[in-house]
This record gives sequence, C-alpha cells and structure tokens, in this order.
Amino acid sequence: MNLQKVISGFFFILAMTLNFGFFYGDMGNPEMHSTYELFAALIISLIATALKIGDKTQIGSVLLASSLVADIQLISAVVVWTVVEYTSTMTNSHMATIISLSGGAFLANITSVILYIGETLKSKR
Amino acid sequence: MRDNAAFWIILQRLRIPLIVIVVTYAIAILGMVLIPGLDDKGNVYHLSFFDAFYFISYTASTIGFGETPYDFIYPQRLWVLICIYLTVIGWFYTIGALVSIISDETLKQELIKGRFKRQIQNLKSDFIIILGYNYVHAEVIKRLTKAEIKVVLVDHDADRLNLFQLDESSMGVPVMVGNVLLTTTLEDAGVCSPYCKAVVAHFYQEDRNLRVSILTRFLNPNVKVITKATVRDTMTSLLDTDIAKVENPFDIFGKRFDIALTAPHILTLENWIYKNSDLANEASFLPQGRYIICGYGRLGKVIKEKLDKHGMDYVIIDEKGIGSKEMIRNETFIRANADDKDVLLEAGIESAVVLVAGTENDIDNISILITAKKLNPNLYVIARENTMEEVSIFEATNANWLFMIERILINKTSLQLSQPLKHSFLKRILYEDEAFGTSLVNLLKAQLGVNPQLLHLTINEKRAYALYHAIEDGELIELNILLRSLENWENYHKAIPLFLKRNGDEILLPSNEILEIGDQILFACNSESREEIEIIASNMYDLHYVRTGEEKQNWLLSKIFRTK
Repeated sequence: MNLQKVISGFFFILAMTLNFGFFYGDMGNPEMHSTYELFAALIISLIATALKIGDKTQIGSVLLASSLVADIQLISAVVVWTVVEYTSTMTNSHMATIISLSGGAFLANITSVILYIGETLKSKR
Repeated sequence: MRDNAAFWIILQRLRIPLIVIVVTYAIAILGMVLIPGLDDKGNVYHLSFFDAFYFISYTASTIGFGETPYDFIYPQRLWVLICIYLTVIGWFYTIGALVSIISDETLKQELIKGRFKRQIQNLKSDFIIILGYNYVHAEVIKRLTKAEIKVVLVDHDADRLNLFQLDESSMGVPVMVGNVLLTTTLEDAGVCSPYCKAVVAHFYQEDRNLRVSILTRFLNPNVKVITKATVRDTMTSLLDTDIAKVENPFDIFGKRFDIALTAPHILTLENWIYKNSDLANEASFLPQGRYIICGYGRLGKVIKEKLDKHGMDYVIIDEKGIGSKEMIRNETFIRANADDKDVLLEAGIESAVVLVAGTENDIDNISILITAKKLNPNLYVIARENTMEEVSIFEATNANWLFMIERILINKTSLQLSQPLKHSFLKRILYEDEAFGTSLVNLLKAQLGVNPQLLHLTINEKRAYALYHAIEDGELIELNILLRSLENWENYHKAIPLFLKRNGDEILLPSNEILEIGDQILFACNSESREEIEIIASNMYDLHYVRTGEEKQNWLLSKIFRTK
C-alpha cells in the first residue's frame, strides 16, 4: 500500500463527495444548501489541486486541468454568493446560479476521480 | 513538457507550501465563522465567510486593519491569537520555500537552458555550433563573428563560459553548459535545425572528436563536422566513415614543408590568403643540405617522410623513440637527448643547414634552438610550438619558421567556415607547381601591388541582380565582361579572376568561361576594380554598356525622344 496514493485518493474523492453534498437538493431553495459545505468543498478542492501539481505524465496534466476547472467553478460560486449577500437579497434565481456553478464543478470532479481510478487500475503495482 | 522544466520545478517545490497555506486559512476562517460574537447592540452574531476571509487575509499578511465588522469579544480574540501564529507561520514557510527555489542551482541551470533553447529556436539564419571553449575556438569565434556568421557555444565547464562572456566577441552568442558528448546536448544546441551548417570540435582527447562526429552524423547528416585528428587510428576511423572534415595539423604542416622544398611561391600565396603577410615576402626554397630533426614524434615522422620523398640528407635525434632497423643502418637515427651540445655536434650541426626543433616540450624546443644557433649561426631553424601561451618567447628566438598547431587549426577552421570559396581555391593551388606559383605572384604584384584584396562574387539575384536576369533571359555572358572598364568598355580594369566554382567543378584562373547562375567567382582586385565588378554585376545599364559599348535606352525616354 502506498501512503501517498491513499492521501491523494482521499482528497480527490472527498472533493467530489463534498461537492455533491452541496449540489444535492432543490435548486432554488437556499435552505437546502449549506455555506459550510461549499466552504469545505472549495478548501478540499484547492488541496486536491496542489496535490496534483508536479505530475508530469499525460494523465497527470488532465487531472490537474480538471481540478483547476472545479476550483474556478467553485470560486465563481463563492463570489456570486458573497456579492449577492452583500449587495442585494438572495432570490431563487441567484441560488440556482450558485448551484449550477457547483454542479459544473461536480462534473469536473467526477472526471478527475474517474481518471484517477483508471490510472490506478492500469498500474501494475 | 520537457521544454519548460523550470516551470515544473517551481510547481513541484511549491506543492507543500500551497497546501499549508490553504489548510491554515481554512482552519482560521472556519474558526472565525463558528465562534459567536456580539454586535454594537449586544446581539449575538456570527461572522460571514466573507468577513472571516477578509479579516484573515489582512491578518495573515500582517497588514492588520483592526477588528471588523464589530469589536471582537474575548473568545474571538483568543481564536484570532491562534490564527495569527498559524497563518503567519504558514506564509513565512511559503516565502522561505520560494526564496530557496529561486536560489536553487538546478532551477538556475534550467532557466539558462530554457533561455538558450529559445535563442536557438529564434535563430533564423545559418549558424555554427562550437563545442568546447579553448584558445583555438576563441579565435575562431572572433573571426566568424567578424564575418557575421552566427555561432553557438557549448562547454561542460561553467567557469570557462563565464570567461568567454567577459570577452567582447561574446555579444549575442548563445552559450550553454552541458556535456557535449551527449545527444541531448547536441539537440539542445540546435544540431537538427535546418539552419545549422557545421559543428566544430577540437578536443585534445581525440576519441571525443570521433564521438561528436558520429553523433552529429546520426542526428543530422546535412551538418558538416570540422574536427581535428593527429593520431592515425582516430583519423582513419573518421575518414573511413566519411563523417567529418578532418584537420590534422601535422599533415597540414607536412604538406607545407613539402611545398617549401619545391614551390615556395605557393606558400606566399597561402600566407596572403590567410592575411598572415603580403606578397612582398621573398619566397625562397628551403636550403639544400643536411637536415637535423630533433624529436621523432608525429611531426618528426611527417618531415622524415617528405625528406625521404625528395632524397634529402637528414638525421633524427630522439631520446625516447626507437628508429627502424633501416634508419639505424643508414645512421639517420641517434637515440639521445637533443638538448645537448655534444649530441648536436655528433649529428653534424656545424655542417647542417636546417634544424627542426620538434619535440612535444616547448621549453626543450627553445633550448635546442638556442644551443644550435650558438653552434651554427647560419642555421635555418624550424621550431614547433605546442601551446599558444609561449608565443612571445618563440618570437624572440628568431626561429625562421614556427610550426604552431593551434594557429594552423584556427586559420584552417575559420577560413573553411567563413570563406569556403577561398578555402577551395587554396586547396586547389596547393597542388600546383612552382612555375604556377611564381607566375601568379608576379602577375598579382605587377597588376595589383603587394596586397591585393579578394572579392567573392556569387551569381544570384541578391549579389548580381543584372547578371542574374540577363543569364536567365538566355543571354551568353563571358566572364571577361566583368573585367571591362566602365569608363571605356574597350579597356580592362585591373582585377584578376582567380577561381570559379560551379556545381562541384573548379576552374583555376578562368578567363572566357560562359557564366551560369550559381557560379561562385573569386577575384583578386583593388578597391576600384572591386567597385566596378560589383556595379557591372548588379546594374543593368552598366552591364549593357560594357557588353555593347552603347548606353542602354530607357524605355520611356526612347519613346518620347523617338526622333533620336
């Protein structure tokens, strides 16, 4: 067993699950989506990105790219939320924007986890 | 991904610091959000994520705007205290890591390499790769940059490259530290580029030269390799495989020695082409008589071969070498230290005419030379000089002829690379006889003085616009058209065509050849005739005049003034 693999696998999958946790629920209803969960999803996603940096293989670069996509989506969601919070009142349509952004991030996270699993299966050790 | 290794090194090293920052921020922000505070009216409230991020951002970076949005209560302040130490340490760690990466030696090397590769990729004109920085190459680089040929330098020793960069000829020369015996280094240096014309390698260890030649051959067969070989084995393997242009300074000198015995005027011409001296130098045959050769190494053997060929009388003195049976029988070999008065006397120094001080040791050579001159002041002395550092001492000893390995390599390499036509001409005349040499030297002196210039004209659109188009239109133009005077077409100016090169054909002293596109012609000329040739070649009005003796009519003007 490779400790490094355990740690990176843990973060990649955690990023995806947290993302899903935030994404799941009624699109327009702010009460069904926790800020804490979005915060956690963003932090774990950032850590996962840092872990993917520096892998110079072909699959490594795609992993990094998908992670960067997830980061950007989540950061946009956070920014939208903050701006709405402080400049106007939260409406259903605002919430839907935030959730769909995180949905995009969720897709990117799925891609990255699938790639990661594929790579692990391919590995002979 | 290999191309931006420096970028990857930075990213890889920053992995942990980045994670540290993200984690410390996350802990700090989360704590700030969770711990309840009191607003100005005494109500319990929680900081939003934005407030917390805002606060931590300026606290962690030690800017410190104070407590927002309301003054903190004690539980909050306790947590802030923890946050400060946590995040500030995180930042310091990251900055420390960044600084250590910047001062990292491998990263520096990669950055330099990256810059070098970019420079090579941006080279859009012919260039030459020089492997190793030594005395010979320093001179070659100087001459090539003077001739406006681009060079690229690679050496495994960074200190030597630093030395080079202090030199003024280093402006705009891309340099790289690297092991030149590896294919990757050669590739980085641009061997595979279509603009790369030649690779120059003059290593003292000749197996390296061989290795570089073979690697280059495999990487790009169109690149010329110019290298040196003095040991027979290396030389034959280089020649057998038809890889490189091999320069053997001993063979080159042997050829000169032969010429000096039979056709000294050819040597005068050579020195003039190399710009070592002008044509005024009196050419004289090497004296006839007894030769004493000190040192039976690579030089001694070459000289012996030539003396045997001409049936001259000689004796060889060497301390270490062993003469063949035949030489001992003929009493042409003395096994002794040449730097000894008695040995020289035994060899017959008093009746000898030429002494060759040709050992591998410069100080021995000087010492032999001084002793011999004392014993026989009329002696003609040929001295071998192994390293350039002793030049001034050798000059002070008044040797009649200095054999300098490095000087020969410098001259030959730079001429071959910067003026290939002159080099072909030189190679060609070395096989001519004394009668040819004398007549050519006299002709040049009579017509152009002791130091004529050389002009290289290629018939192409750029250098010879008028000629190019006339030939393209199918007109037959003889070479001597170029020699007519622009003042009066029936007269000729003073230039002398020396050499014409056409698709591998070489014509020595051409006269009435019909010119073709792509011809390369070498003229001896003075500045006036140089100008005339260039004008005739490129200006169609002047070309018309020297061909017909008439002014070419301007198309428009001749229509207007039809009456004329």
